[in-house]
Amino acid sequence: MAILEEPIKGVPVIKNYIGGEWVESKGELVDVVNPAKYETIAKVPISTREEIDAAVEAAQQAFPDWRRTTPLARVRCLFRLKELLEEQFEECSRIQTQEHGKTIDESRGESRRGIENVEVATGIPSLMLGYNLEDIASGIDEYLIRQPLGVFGIIGPFNFPFMIPLWSAPYAVATGNTVVVKPSSEVPLSQRKIAELVDEAGFPPGVYNLVNGGRTVVNGMLEHPDIKGIAFVGSTPTGRDVIYKRCGETGKRVIAQCGAKNYMVIMPDCNVQRTIPALMTSFFGNTGQRCLSGTVLCIVGDDAFYNRFLDDVVDTTSKIKVGYGLDESTQMGPVRDVKKKESILGYIEDGIRAGAKLRLDGRKPTNLASGYPDTCFLNPTIFEDVTPDMRIAQEEIFGPVMSVIRAKNLDEAIDMANSTSFGNGHAIFTSNGKAARQFQYNIISGNVGINVGIVAPMAFFPFSGMKDSFYGVLHTQGQEAVRFFTESKVVIQRWL
Amino acid sequence: MELNTASETVSFARELETESAKFYENLAQKYAQGKEIFLSFAKENNKNIVQTERAYFGVISDALEGCFSFKGIDTDNYSIETTLSEGRSYADALNMAVALEEKIVKFYLDAAEVSKSLMADVPQAFERIAKKRNERILKLKPLL
Repeated sequence: MAILEEPIKGVPVIKNYIGGEWVESKGELVDVVNPAKYETIAKVPISTREEIDAAVEAAQQAFPDWRRTTPLARVRCLFRLKELLEEQFEECSRIQTQEHGKTIDESRGESRRGIENVEVATGIPSLMLGYNLEDIASGIDEYLIRQPLGVFGIIGPFNFPFMIPLWSAPYAVATGNTVVVKPSSEVPLSQRKIAELVDEAGFPPGVYNLVNGGRTVVNGMLEHPDIKGIAFVGSTPTGRDVIYKRCGETGKRVIAQCGAKNYMVIMPDCNVQRTIPALMTSFFGNTGQRCLSGTVLCIVGDDAFYNRFLDDVVDTTSKIKVGYGLDESTQMGPVRDVKKKESILGYIEDGIRAGAKLRLDGRKPTNLASGYPDTCFLNPTIFEDVTPDMRIAQEEIFGPVMSVIRAKNLDEAIDMANSTSFGNGHAIFTSNGKAARQFQYNIISGNVGINVGIVAPMAFFPFSGMKDSFYGVLHTQGQEAVRFFTESKVVIQRWL
Repeated sequence: MELNTASETVSFARELETESAKFYENLAQKYAQGKEIFLSFAKENNKNIVQTERAYFGVISDALEGCFSFKGIDTDNYSIETTLSEGRSYADALNMAVALEEKIVKFYLDAAEVSKSLMADVPQAFERIAKKRNERILKLKPLL
């Protein structure tokens, strides 16, 4: 199969999109690197405090008119954006692969999931409806209306450069707010593409702004009095200790979706043929760089089942084709950058030192197609004989590493999963409804999979999370996003 | 070559449809007696591509097993012969068409079988196309 054409040519210098204009940044430029080829594909600015302030000001200025724009007129801009995203679906997907490294199937999946949020947000005239009750007392009526708040900051992570800001931004603008989006400086090209389409869709200047950069931009958002709230997706230390904490201090609303350590619990009655592909996607999809990835494979059952099942898993995993995501035959791409690869290698070394048995050693990538440096590539790794107290069983590795643990029974498996500090996307594989219900009932996890390895809620459901995986009250996506981006105002009226 | 991913499989289906459409267009030029039916097949091939891609692009998402759902599909088992050498009779051409359809039906059914319950709408689209292609065989055989 041929390598699909790369959409990013040359080395463009990325600009910010502020007040409906593409503005060159005065900040330092850093390289955006395609991790598969390890070549620079763009330069992104680390924008200054003045630039984030200018974006917030543009958004603040746009807010009163945008708020007064009827919900129907607002969603017409979103309908147009949806059309443009569909027209340029393939280009958007290939940009993700080029800047992030994920496979083209994964990028297309990400595009689809992102667009689905735009689709759901086009329902705002219905989703934003309030409610009322006549005669709460004699001759007195009471009703609730939802009003937008102002400017919101949206901070995206590196692992889903296209989709994650779309968990929030469409709902924010559809409800009448304005936004400033900050993508990860490692992967800014997908959000640049979205901003281009936003511009083409005809959103008024200032409604949607894009500022590239790092901490300065994040701090600028956190400290700016006109920012009413932040939707953040990233690591737990940043989400908890920086975003959540400082939003609390400054009275901003906050959604902070953070890290994970997801258990995939395998019961001996599972459908092995169906379970194994689901596990491959769960552990090694997106090269393990997602907060819904399986990280611990917890097998319940006797020695015969355990050995047979694990042999199948190891055999299938060993055949995963690693390579450039624009090669359609690739099943797993590189990790995003060298530092992340080093971190993953560090965890593998730690697992060996702690006494886990390396059943599949992915430290040295093999069978890479010629012409691709192995700089950011790893093969999948599988550890056996892992115990729940080991770091590889407790901490988020964010890479293609499976840690295999045994449990005597389902209760023990649930206890072990619940002993981690995270609660994001645990799953069970079983054909027994009672076991599934027991798991669903007792597991501490915002998203729960039953024979599903990646528990990614659809756009019309909230993307949940518990413990160190989530800080805040309301979540991104669907009705909860609508509530996050609106204030509930209650009116009690009596006409004399 | 063994197919690994959904993207690869959909591309291979597109290749089969495109190649076989060209084959039928060629037959339509050479054999006036079957022109109408051959052209209708070629036209339907384009619809098949649209149908497959609509299913794939509509449901592909990071939650599905796109990179791991087509184990065991080897393209060598579905290679089709589309070159019609000079001097071949109408009956030869029809026999080639039947053989081609049988290969393609097998591809769609095998691909649907291995990806069932993993790729949602895609195996259903494959099964629908296999059914339509089976109907072609029933239309071609009486012409022999």
